[in-house]
Amino acid sequence: MTRAHFKKTHLKRSLIKLLQTVLILLATLIMLVPILWIFLAAFKNHIDVFQLKLLFTPTLQNFLTVFEAPYHLGQKLINSTIVAFVTVLIAIPIATMAAYSFSRFKLVGETAMLVTILATQFVPAVVIVLPFFVMFRDVGLLDTRIGLVLVNLAIVMPFAIWMIKGFIDGIPIDTEEAAMVDGSSRLQVIRNIVLPMAAPGLLTAGIFCFIIAWNEFLFALILTNREAVTLPIGLALFKAEEGDLWNLLSAAGIIIMVPMFVLALLIRKYFVQGMTMGAVR
Amino acid sequence: MRDRTLKYLLVAPAVLVVFATTIWPLIESLRLSFTVGRLNKPGSLDQYIGWENYTWAFLYEPAFWNSVTVTAIYTVLTVVLTTLFALALALLLVPGGRFRSGVQTLLILPFAMSPALIGVSFRFMFNPEFGLFDALFGVMIPPLADVSWLADPVLAFAVCVMADVWGWIPFLTLVLIGGLASIPRETLEAAQVDGASGWRVFRDITLPQLAPVLAVVIILKTIFSLKTFDQIFMLTNGGPGTATQTLSHYIYFNGMKYGQIGYASSVAWLMVIPMIFLTYAYARYVFRKN
Repeated sequence: MTRAHFKKTHLKRSLIKLLQTVLILLATLIMLVPILWIFLAAFKNHIDVFQLKLLFTPTLQNFLTVFEAPYHLGQKLINSTIVAFVTVLIAIPIATMAAYSFSRFKLVGETAMLVTILATQFVPAVVIVLPFFVMFRDVGLLDTRIGLVLVNLAIVMPFAIWMIKGFIDGIPIDTEEAAMVDGSSRLQVIRNIVLPMAAPGLLTAGIFCFIIAWNEFLFALILTNREAVTLPIGLALFKAEEGDLWNLLSAAGIIIMVPMFVLALLIRKYFVQGMTMGAVR
Repeated sequence: MRDRTLKYLLVAPAVLVVFATTIWPLIESLRLSFTVGRLNKPGSLDQYIGWENYTWAFLYEPAFWNSVTVTAIYTVLTVVLTTLFALALALLLVPGGRFRSGVQTLLILPFAMSPALIGVSFRFMFNPEFGLFDALFGVMIPPLADVSWLADPVLAFAVCVMADVWGWIPFLTLVLIGGLASIPRETLEAAQVDGASGWRVFRDITLPQLAPVLAVVIILKTIFSLKTFDQIFMLTNGGPGTATQTLSHYIYFNGMKYGQIGYASSVAWLMVIPMIFLTYAYARYVFRKN
């Protein structure tokens, strides 16, 4: 290889490298801009929102206004928190029990059960919400947090079961067998050995399910109207005669998304695995 | 307690919950789809009319066919665009290093965002007076300078597609990075030593090795695209007119706004059928892995 030739390929390499960096930065920018725009608008005055400017006098007023009448975002915040929390609190123990059984034993109809559970993730929410609306209307569960928790279980359970099953599959079975030989019962083994070892996994699955329940939209849209309204539905409040109240919308948007950003970053390593139910690792 | 009994007792609550929250409503909506099913007419939920709701959708409802068309085009566009962009971004990010893994961490953010909020955000970005994307497109493509994006049927649809692609690229990228990282290094290096060009390495080695992951990603994205509701609801609410009315939105509108639960259920079930095939395809990949 001649010197000139070497120089040429070297130059070509650094050009490609530069191009790659530029492309990555561009992609990152496109990804972040809509989020940053919300952050900016949330600190703008009503008047500044209507201009495309980056320099303005920041204000915290929007974050106060959204909690006042007529918006009462506080009530929606409480609803969202309770609904997501209770959903997780019910789903995780039930899912853990099932996941342990699926992981450690051979059950009659096991594959059929697992496929069904997997498939329920793909049932469109709009299909199952219609019968729930009719039933809730008849039994008085419309516009209640209990009602929302019940339907949220539908979307959370398949993720929880599959995710926890993945974690338990990864715990070596030897310790359990040794304890059984020493005279522990199966339930003692689950409580004293499996649960402590699976705890980080259960927490991860719980956070994952919390994010899903928190962001859930369609069920809350149809099954609530006043008392049990959650945050994402609350976004629709900020429409006035003169149009959208962008500064308030953005402040509410921050209240919705920032806690989820924090939670998602905590479990980021398991996000992909959770979403794909172990189809991709 | 014997394991023989215990193992079934342990799965029983989960099976019960899944049955009550998904299987029952599925069966019930199938039943409703054969009834008159008007919310404001007592007794009509038990008044059977055979296949009338289905024939009505097929024969007399142009709006139904419109939503089928919208959903189909939307699905094809979002699946293709998201996959291509995600693949490109994954290839750019896979070499690793501090800078690239920092970007990877950020990729989680759009995915943790409520889709409803993504809809709001894009309505904001394309506002004709002060939307940033509206302004940028105006500068880059002058004919688009003075258009009102969300008032134009084609452009509103384009904005919906953009919002969807924006929201899903990060997740698909993360999955594909996982797939790319699991391709053995030696295989790639051996090919490079043999003098194969970057494109040949990609076509003959990377792509075939990535195929199963790519298939999973495409099936998943297709399912999520078909179901799309939240962001369309916040972004355009199906409009202008019915230009962006997806199937989910059409079902919601007929069921909740017009109170035609029976009819809405029949359309809902028409939507379940393609899902069954997709889920079957997906389950095969999941069980091959586990």
